[in-house]
Amino acid sequence: MRADAVTVNVTAQPARAAVPLRFEGVSVKYRGRTTRALDGVTVQAAPGHVTAVVGPNGSGKSTLVRALLRRVPLETGRILLGDIDLLTVAPRDFAAQIAVVSQREEPSLPLSVAEFVALGRFPHRGAFGAMSQADTAAVQRAMERTGAIETDGRRTDELSGGEWQRVRIARALAQETRVMVLDEPTTFLDIAHEMAVFELLDSLAREGCTVLLVSHQLNLVARFASHIVLLHRGQVAAAGTPSDVMRGEILERVYDWPLVVTRDPAVGAPALLPLRGGGRGRHRG
Amino acid sequence: MIRPGASTLLPLVLGAAALVLVALVAVAVGAVPISLSDVVQGVLGQGDVAIVSIVRDLRAPRVALAALVGAALGMSGGALQGTLRNQLAEPYLLGVSGGAAVGAVLLMSLRVTDPFLVTVGAFVGAATAAALVTALARVVGGSGDTRLLLMAGVVVGAFANAAILVALADAPPDRLRGALWWMMGSAAGASWQAVGRIAVATLVLGGALVWRARELDVLVLGDEPAAALGVDVERASRRMFLVASLLAAATVASAGLIGFIGLVVPNLARALGAQRHRGMLILSAVYGALLLVAADLVARTVRAPADLPLGAVTALIGVPFFLTRLRKVVL
Amino acid sequence: MSVLFFASEQAVRRAALVLVSVVMGAVAACTTPGDSASAGSSATSSATESLAASAAGSRRASAPADTDDFGTPFPKDVSASARIVSLNPTATELLYTLGVSERLVGRSAWDEFPAEVKSVPSVGNGIGVNVEAVLGVRPTLVVLYATPENRTAAEALQRAGVHTIALRVDHIADFMALTTRLGRVVGAERRAITVRDTVQATLDSVRAVLRGVTATPVVWPVWLAPTMVIGGGSFLDELIEIAGGHNVFHDSPAPSPQVSIEEIAKRNPDFVIASDSTMARLRKDAPWRAVRAVRDARWLRSDPALTGRPSVVLGMAAVSLARVMHPERAAALPR
Repeated sequence: MRADAVTVNVTAQPARAAVPLRFEGVSVKYRGRTTRALDGVTVQAAPGHVTAVVGPNGSGKSTLVRALLRRVPLETGRILLGDIDLLTVAPRDFAAQIAVVSQREEPSLPLSVAEFVALGRFPHRGAFGAMSQADTAAVQRAMERTGAIETDGRRTDELSGGEWQRVRIARALAQETRVMVLDEPTTFLDIAHEMAVFELLDSLAREGCTVLLVSHQLNLVARFASHIVLLHRGQVAAAGTPSDVMRGEILERVYDWPLVVTRDPAVGAPALLPLRGGGRGRHRG
Repeated sequence: MIRPGASTLLPLVLGAAALVLVALVAVAVGAVPISLSDVVQGVLGQGDVAIVSIVRDLRAPRVALAALVGAALGMSGGALQGTLRNQLAEPYLLGVSGGAAVGAVLLMSLRVTDPFLVTVGAFVGAATAAALVTALARVVGGSGDTRLLLMAGVVVGAFANAAILVALADAPPDRLRGALWWMMGSAAGASWQAVGRIAVATLVLGGALVWRARELDVLVLGDEPAAALGVDVERASRRMFLVASLLAAATVASAGLIGFIGLVVPNLARALGAQRHRGMLILSAVYGALLLVAADLVARTVRAPADLPLGAVTALIGVPFFLTRLRKVVL
Repeated sequence: MSVLFFASEQAVRRAALVLVSVVMGAVAACTTPGDSASAGSSATSSATESLAASAAGSRRASAPADTDDFGTPFPKDVSASARIVSLNPTATELLYTLGVSERLVGRSAWDEFPAEVKSVPSVGNGIGVNVEAVLGVRPTLVVLYATPENRTAAEALQRAGVHTIALRVDHIADFMALTTRLGRVVGAERRAITVRDTVQATLDSVRAVLRGVTATPVVWPVWLAPTMVIGGGSFLDELIEIAGGHNVFHDSPAPSPQVSIEEIAKRNPDFVIASDSTMARLRKDAPWRAVRAVRDARWLRSDPALTGRPSVVLGMAAVSLARVMHPERAAALPR
C-alpha cells in the first residue's frame, strides 16, 4: 500500500487484501425489450486504481451497477470479486466488501445525518446492541472525508441536492469496504465539491481500494482514472488508458457529436471539447 | 453524535404511564360504577364478590384484550409502512385483515367454534391475502412499486368483503347479525383465554418484528440502497409482510376487523420522534394499546347500554387524524 | 430540499382517495336500511328495531281488518287457498291445527312443528324468499313474514298471479290476529276462533292463578356473540309477564336488543331463563360470571319447542314458564 495522507484527521484504514472486481462477458436483457442492455461486457477494475465506465445515455452503464447489485438477472456471464462469483455471496457479506452508491436515491424516512450515515454500518452490526467504537469511528471518518460533517446535526429531509449526495457517499464510505462502486456520484455537485469527490476517490484508490466509477464527466475521468471502459449500446467500444480511449474518432462515433480531443497542458490529460452541432440534432438510438 | 433511543425514551415512558392510567379508568368505568380503590381490591380478589367478578371476569380481560390488540395493530401497521415505504399502509387497507376475516368467517359458517381453529383460519386467510396482493402487484408491474401494492391491497380487500357476504348469504338472521357484529370489531366477551392467545401472538410475532427492526431501517431506503447495504430485499420484504400480516390476523381472530390503529399509530410514533424502526415499533405498541383501550371505553359508554362496534369508533377517531396528517404530507 | 415523506404526491393522493371511498363504502354498507332481524350495525339495530316495531304497531292499528300487514287485501274466495305455501312457521303450525294441512304444498326451511311438516317440501328461507322455488310448487296462496325484506318477494309473487298474505308475529296480539285472519282466508273461521279463544283462556287462567305474586326479575339471553336478550318488543316478554315474572329489559322496545353483559349484571335479575344448550354455553363463558344469577347458578329452564315461536302452544308455554318461576303455585296451574 502506497503511503499517503490526504488529511490529517484520517486514521489508517485496517489492512485487508486488495481484490479486483471483474465483470466477465456479462449480458443483461430487460423483460419486454428486444435488444440487450448489456451484451458480453467485460470490465476489470483493479485495486489501487480508479476504473471508469463511460458512455452515452442508454449505453448500459447503470445496468452494470444494477447487475452488480443483483437487481437484474444475468443472461450470461459472471461478476467476480477476486476469484469468487458474487452470485454465491450472501447479501451481507457482499455489502461488507463492496459499497455501491447508486445513481438516484429518493429520501424516505427523515433521519438525522449521523443516523443516516450510520446505516452504512449495517453489514457489520448484529440485530441488537449499540454502535461499537469501531462503528462510531468509521462513521466519523466517513463524514469527515466526504465533507458531510458540515451537515451534522441536520436531517436528511432538509438537505440540498449536493449535500444529500455527499451524505450518501459518506454512508457508503462508512461501510469500510475495499471496493467502491459509484454511479454518477457528482451530478448535483458544484465544481469544488465535485473535485473533492474525485480527489477522495483518488485517495481511496491510492490506499489500495478498488474504485469503479460510472460517470459522464469525461474530462475529470481522464484526469483521475487509470483505466477507462467506453460502452456503446451495451457493448464495449473501447477500453484502456485515458490516452487509448479518449480519441476523437472513437468518441465522435460513440457519442455521435462532433468533438475535438486536445491535451490539457495544465494537467497533462486528454481534454474533450464538444463542438457546435450546427443544428444536426441527431436522433439517439 | 448518534444516540439512538434517547429521543424515544420520554414518549415511551409517558405513553406507558398514560396506558396504565387509562386502563385503570377503563376498568373502573362501566354500567356498574366502581371506584378506583374497589378496582384494586377487585383485582386482588378482595371485597364484594359481585365487584370482584365484574372486575376480574368482565372488565379486566376486556381491557387487556383491547390493549394487546391495539399493540399488535400498531406494530403490524408500523412494519407494513416500513416494508412498503408508504405511511398510508396498514393491514386493513392492504386487504390482509379482510383475508383473515374470510378465513375466520368461512370456518364459523361451517359451525367451527373452537377459537384456536378460528385463529388458524384467520392466519391462513391473511397469509393468502398477503400472497395474493404481492402476486397481483408483481403481475401488473413488479412488487417493487409500493403504489401497486396498495392498489392490489384494496382490490383484495374488496374481494374479501364480497367473499364474506357470499359466505353469509343464506345464514339465518341471527348468525348473520353475529358475523357482521364481529366484523365491525369488538372486545366484548373477552375471556382470559382469548387474552392469553393474543398475548402469545403479540409477543412472538411482534417480538420478531422488533428483532428485525434494523432491517426495516435499511429496507425503507429503497430497493437499490437496501441491496447495496446487504439486505436480501425480496426475502426480507416478504418476511416482514408475512409476519405483520399474521400479527394482524391474530387481532382479527380475537376482536374482529378494527381499522385505523395500524394506520394512525405509527405516524404518531414518528411524529413523536421515533424515526428508527425499533423505537417506532415499540412506541407504536404502547400507543396502539393506549388508543384502543380508550376507544373501547368510548364504545362502551357513549351510547350505553348499547355497545358500539369498536371498528366504528376507531374509524371516527382515525379519519380526522389521518386527514390532518395527509394535509401535512401533501402540502 | 423539501422532500415528500415516503411516497410521491400522486401516490399519496390516490391512496387517500381510495381510503376515503373504502371508509365511505363501509359506512354506507353499515347503515344500509335493513330489517330488525337482519343486517345492520349493532349500534343502530335497536333503533331500527324499535322503529320497525312502532311502525308495525301503527300499521296494525290503522290497517283495515281485511288487509294484511303489507296492506294487501285478503283474498275473498276460499278457493284462493287451494294450494298454500307457508313461509311463516307460526302460520304453518296453525294450518295443521285448523285441519287444512292437506292444502300445504310448500314450507320454509325453518319449519319444524308439527313433526308432520317434514313431509312437505321446503322451498327456501322465510326471510329472503326464493321466489322461483316458491313458484315451482305452483301455489295459489303464499303466507309470509311481514318484514320489509319480503316486500319485493310479495310483489313478485303477486305479479305472477299468486295471492300473498304477510303477517307479523312479534306479539301475542299478532298471533291472535293471525289466527282469525288466516282462519277466515282458508274458510275455517269457526275453528280458528276456537283455537284463539282456547289459547286466550289458558293465558287468562295463568294470569289469574298468579295474581298477587311478586314478579320474579329475569333475563332471557338468546344469542351470545353479540349478547342479545329478549326485550319488551317480543311475545316472550309478554309471556314472562303473564307467568308472574318481570323481564329486566322490558323497557327496551326491541324484540331482541343487543346489550352488554355488564348491563345485565347491573340490572341483577334473580334468574336466567335459558334452554339447555344456551345454559351450557353461558356456564363456560367466563365474563358471564359477573352476573349474580349465573354465579349462583339460578337457571330457569325453557323448552325451545314451546317458546321458540308464537304458536298454538302459547298457552302451554305460559304454563311451563309459570311452573318454573313460581313452583309454589304450580298445583293451581291448568294441566
